[in-house]
Amino acid sequence: MIHLDPAILSRVMKPARYTGHELNSVMKPHETVAVTFALAFPDVYEVGMSYLGYKILYSILNKRTDTAAERVFAPWVDMEQEMRQAKIPLFSHETFTPLAEFDLVGFTLQYEMSYTNILNMLDLGGIPLLTKDRKQGQPFVVAGGPGVYNVEPLADFFDFVIVGEGEEIIEEIVDTYKCWREAGEQGGRKEFLLAVSKISGIYVPSFYDVTYETNGTIHSVSSNEPTAPAIVHKRIVKDLESISYPVKPIVPYTEIVHDRIMLELFRGCTRGCRFCQAGILYRPVRERTVDTLVKIARQQVDATGYNEISLTSLSSADYSKLPELIDRLTAELKDDRVSVSLPSLRIDSFSIELAQKVQQVRKSGLTFAPEAGTQRLRDVINKGVTEENLIEAVGAAFRSGWTSVKLYFMIGLPTETDEDIEGIADLAQRVVKLFSEIRGRRGVKVTVSVSSFVPKAHTAFQWFGQDSLEELERKQHYLRSLIKDKSIAYHYHDARVSVLEGVFARGDRRLGEVLLKAWRAGAKFDSWSEHFHYEIWQQAFIDCKIDPAFYAHRDRDLMEVLPWEYVSPAVTKKYLAKEYREAVAGAFTSDCRTDVCGVCGVCQQLNAAVIDWSDSL
Amino acid sequence: MKIRMKITKEEEIRFISHLDYTRTIERAVRRAKLSAAYSEGFNPHMKFSFASALAVGVTSSAEYMDLELATDTELATIMRQLRQAFPVGITVKDSQVMIGTVKALMAVVNLATYEMTWLMSDGISEADLQQSLDLFDQEAIAIYVKQTPKGVREIDIKEFVAAPPVLHVEGDKICLQLQLHIKPTGSVKPTDMLELLIHKYQLPAFARAALIERTGLFISNKGRLLTPLEL
Repeated sequence: MIHLDPAILSRVMKPARYTGHELNSVMKPHETVAVTFALAFPDVYEVGMSYLGYKILYSILNKRTDTAAERVFAPWVDMEQEMRQAKIPLFSHETFTPLAEFDLVGFTLQYEMSYTNILNMLDLGGIPLLTKDRKQGQPFVVAGGPGVYNVEPLADFFDFVIVGEGEEIIEEIVDTYKCWREAGEQGGRKEFLLAVSKISGIYVPSFYDVTYETNGTIHSVSSNEPTAPAIVHKRIVKDLESISYPVKPIVPYTEIVHDRIMLELFRGCTRGCRFCQAGILYRPVRERTVDTLVKIARQQVDATGYNEISLTSLSSADYSKLPELIDRLTAELKDDRVSVSLPSLRIDSFSIELAQKVQQVRKSGLTFAPEAGTQRLRDVINKGVTEENLIEAVGAAFRSGWTSVKLYFMIGLPTETDEDIEGIADLAQRVVKLFSEIRGRRGVKVTVSVSSFVPKAHTAFQWFGQDSLEELERKQHYLRSLIKDKSIAYHYHDARVSVLEGVFARGDRRLGEVLLKAWRAGAKFDSWSEHFHYEIWQQAFIDCKIDPAFYAHRDRDLMEVLPWEYVSPAVTKKYLAKEYREAVAGAFTSDCRTDVCGVCGVCQQLNAAVIDWSDSL
Repeated sequence: MKIRMKITKEEEIRFISHLDYTRTIERAVRRAKLSAAYSEGFNPHMKFSFASALAVGVTSSAEYMDLELATDTELATIMRQLRQAFPVGITVKDSQVMIGTVKALMAVVNLATYEMTWLMSDGISEADLQQSLDLFDQEAIAIYVKQTPKGVREIDIKEFVAAPPVLHVEGDKICLQLQLHIKPTGSVKPTDMLELLIHKYQLPAFARAALIERTGLFISNKGRLLTPLEL
């Protein structure tokens, strides 16, 4: 057990990040359990504690009497320095056990720019970074989360990878581990990997060899273990009603990013926006019932004392019984003074009545995501909303008293021209004008927030070459020059970060070396602007003789073997290619939830179905 | 009804901030299903208040809190429910129902006592420590230069010292007891005083290694010390 010297804690920022003991955290003496599992989040406490996935796995694993699951976070740089100086290894927040003493260490891959933190945490935890260097008695290092759908840049670091939803598979892993352990770890680490690779949804990167063409593209990927599957399909929970939901989440002492109850209404979104990876990864749509949600909410409020519930899903306003749910939640929790909030609203599912019922929108203004500035480009990305939808929704908001709106856009989308950039400025200006028309005065605040498009694996745009850094920056500045009205605030992201994301989002195994080099040169917390050092990355690419443009900016041929094809969300390549063609043609693909099945392949391959309660009374 | 409680902030939660502590108690009150009173208005907040904020890193065996409930309930019931709801690091020591008009804790509490403990370094004797303290006692003014995010501020620590610091040495454990005024204009942190003793009066200690506990909060009136529960 690690003892943290108060002298150290009194020197670092936000020391309560490191001291544990939170309500509902589970502390089990390790000698009383068969398996110990560290759930490691590659960012600071406040970010990691807001991640729903770990709340779910923590609850499932700790429900087992034979297993202890504990949390591990990346220490902030000041604490890391103290720990390295005092030779304190990275530790868990429950029993203050060093990371290297766990049986399994899981990381979640939420965004590309957290990858160096994973290496840093392994290093701080005294675990060899490369799978090939790990010995008997050292933990197995596991990955899960959306990043596994192209885990190739991290292939050298993970012993195995969990593809898809973890509720069921995590228990199968623990059972398999227990068996291997009880059999005296016969056959060593390899034997366990072989056993675990037989579980559906497990990918063992070291069981596959990649060969390359002279032009740098992939020639072939073949398994070097006869039992390894040719393609690993994701696992899903077919019916969310059949699994437990964490009803006693940990209540942190110190404030975290999402400091409220998270109530997951459903998984999946089949609106079919062509840039959206989550829309593909989490298919099909599966809703929980109102009864279940109200019951869970009640239990969570009682167990935490939180006074806010956030209805979280990819597009919560699409929940088929939303008005009923909000009414019932409000009635159930009125005496507890709990408010209900909706984190995001779609323009076409927005209703003022709904917005007024939930408190969050009142506090922070309304956020809409037209994504693109012209109808032509919105058709390309299959956004399915029109300017009229936006004007109607914003107009209704202004009439009901709102005075500020936030509009999200992307630049760098396929087929984009300067006309589309101009469309963003025009749309923002039209919203400003709309306010004066409706309210007869000035005083509106329109925030235009623009991110740079990053093409992702397993989307219709996975073949598309991302705009170059210069082009993205030119577009950012062009838009800046078009926005003159003082009521419009314009924000945009660092395009250098977007390009790096673009490299790793569609990278292959050869990038592992770049990650290592960059980390050794000091890269960490790359998603925190104050710690992002682009020069480190540029140097790492040069040192490894790797051209980042090959990964980010190159248009791929439809026939090319893609590095991420061997891990699949069960949506077919054929469907994605069809969507790419439809995109270029500006053709609309409807939502299979309300319209015909588009045969993306997920229901067919996983023997699953959409679960939607809109027809039930 | 208004309840006054004496509660703790213990070792496990030493490093949470006053705001964290407040939020933690608010959630506990909600879990306890007490009929807490809320303010009126657009953003209602639970009606509870403290005597004086406690610094990050400092434990306390004597925090005081007033909580207002919308309905009358038996004190024993309230306390039983609260005790079950408090997380690790917060214990109820004492409580009473307040009758009549009650002045806010913040307005009446004007003195805090602290205990600072640390380990004696090699080659240091009790006399060395006492010598520094005597030096400090003899001073009329003792200026501590405080670095704040807003700049440098000079504080005369002497203005806040209610009684000379008392030293106890037991084996290699050193304990220093302080009595500091809390004034309407502000107060000094025990760490500020320790820093001053070390840097200006050569107290042989290492400020960050000292564990600090607030041992009492009082209403000092004409030489008499009363706790908020004795009022």
